[in-house]
Amino acid sequence: MEGLRRLGWGIRRHRLISLCIVLLSMIVLSGLFAPQLAPNDPNFVDLIHKLEGPSTQFPLGTDQLGRCLFSRLLYGTRISLSLALLIVTSCLAVGLVIGSAAGYIGGKIDSLIMRICDAILAIPSLILAISLIAVWGAGWKQMAIALIIVQSVYYARFIRGMVRNIKQQNYVTAARIAGTSPLRMMTRHIIPNLLPPLFIVVTLEIGWVIMDISALSFIGLGVQSPTPEWGAMINDGKSLLRSHPRLMIVPGLMIFCMVALLNLLGEFLGERKGFTKSIRKMAKEARGS
Amino acid sequence: MVANSPLSRTKDGGVMSLLIVDHVTKTYTSSHWFRAKRKEEEAALSGVSFVVEPGMCMGILGESGAGKSTLGRIVLGLLPPDSGRISFNGVDLYRATRRERKRLRRDLQVVFQDSYSAVNPRMSVLQIIGEPLRNFERLSAQEERRVVAGLLETVGLVTDDMHKHPQQMSGGQLQRVNIARAIALKPKLIVLDEPVSSLDMIVQKQILYHLKELKEKYGLSYLFISHDLLAVNVLSDRVAIMDKGKLELMLKES
Ligand SMILES: Nc1ncnc2c1ncn2[C@@H]1O[C@H](COP(=O)(O)OP(=O)(O)OP(=O)(O)O)[C@@H](O)[C@H]1O
Ligand SMILES: [Mg+2]
Repeated sequence: MEGLRRLGWGIRRHRLISLCIVLLSMIVLSGLFAPQLAPNDPNFVDLIHKLEGPSTQFPLGTDQLGRCLFSRLLYGTRISLSLALLIVTSCLAVGLVIGSAAGYIGGKIDSLIMRICDAILAIPSLILAISLIAVWGAGWKQMAIALIIVQSVYYARFIRGMVRNIKQQNYVTAARIAGTSPLRMMTRHIIPNLLPPLFIVVTLEIGWVIMDISALSFIGLGVQSPTPEWGAMINDGKSLLRSHPRLMIVPGLMIFCMVALLNLLGEFLGERKGFTKSIRKMAKEARGS
Repeated sequence: MVANSPLSRTKDGGVMSLLIVDHVTKTYTSSHWFRAKRKEEEAALSGVSFVVEPGMCMGILGESGAGKSTLGRIVLGLLPPDSGRISFNGVDLYRATRRERKRLRRDLQVVFQDSYSAVNPRMSVLQIIGEPLRNFERLSAQEERRVVAGLLETVGLVTDDMHKHPQQMSGGQLQRVNIARAIALKPKLIVLDEPVSSLDMIVQKQILYHLKELKEKYGLSYLFISHDLLAVNVLSDRVAIMDKGKLELMLKES
């Protein structure tokens, strides 16, 4: 409560951040209500109206198959966001279990888990994801699973580090001496103190995952063509880059806005809590750069 | 040093001691999968022996790095010694069964130096002091409030403080909260690891006075760790000086 109120204060004072939050909510809402907001069926092919400019019927014009660009963009938001959320939540669940087990138990189990994670992290994550998809075949399910596997490792490492850090705090020792059981220690001391930094990481991470999804879909490994997704839409439009740059710029701009907004928000939250630097370092590590 | 340790004299006295620390040795080793253990590391504790009687305060005086906190952690059952024996209330602390340990846990409490780091920043004072109660006693929410209010009063705070969070309190007030948590289960021994070192002189005095009062009121025993001779003097019945992991000499107060 206290924290929320203090955060509220900061937000009201920072115009940029309030704007950022308003824009993000608009994007999320437009994705959520895409079926209600879209003026046309996003997959309806209408060759008579192909490559038209913006009009009242097609607010952003149409693509080479005469599909409404605006409607496709709205549905694309829905798909990108829900995929990103699915991936991030799964990673979070896997990472929490593995990371907190390794961090809390420590010893040999911890060393073993961390060596495996190191081995996986040694390969740049996108390349690993691509190789996994190459084995399983292209498609959004395969892409989601590949990204979950690759990203979970990073979550596990991050959470393990945090848990170890919290475990060393005097208040955990004091609670142990007060007779607190390991389970209660997890739920009352460790996880509550883990959540704020984790929340910030997730904010940043959603942006990066959206980027990954678009990148993989752009090269044809993720969401497949008729389904509107930002990366796939850019791919569809790339042959018409010279004559109709709109087809690439519009979805490209969406990706850019989404990632930029989420990064701004994440950085802001991190700065308020005073751990941006460490998080930036970890995000860098996760990207394998 | 081992030969003329005070234990040999006090051990065969008739009274059962509350805490017996018998030739305790501890060396921190940095064990690692791919690295051999180094042997020549310096011992944090070597052959430390002393006893604490019920209702007595044992002062351990020593410079930084002498091994005082290590001793405290071993006595609290947090860090197994390499050799030697810790007997608390007649039970060997590191060879006790789970049930015995759980029972001992109640009687053995701690107050750390840094009052802020010793409490979870997301908990209220009520939750902090209520934690040991919740772990060992089945109280209704109302009873818990009453007990916590009583404890707050005992350590010189007011009932309304129970709704505060650590950030809203001063270091001295928060140290009183830590003391309240330590005495909540009416323990037999409290390890005080530099409990007043981070506070200013006046607050130090008040808290030491309070600790002394509590000791007399509940018949508590203390293991009082400090590098401040004056602070040790106020509270301790007996003082040992620790240097480089060894208990050098015992001063007995009259
Ligand atoms: N977790 C640890 N791992 C390795 N070495 C440690 C660890 N804790 C303490 N030591 C070492 O053991 C020795 C004793 O440390 P200890 O913390 O017991 O000293 P202290 O007397 O409490 O000092 P201070 O007054 O600064 O608190 C020091 O040399 C320290 O470097
Ligand atoms: Mg110390």
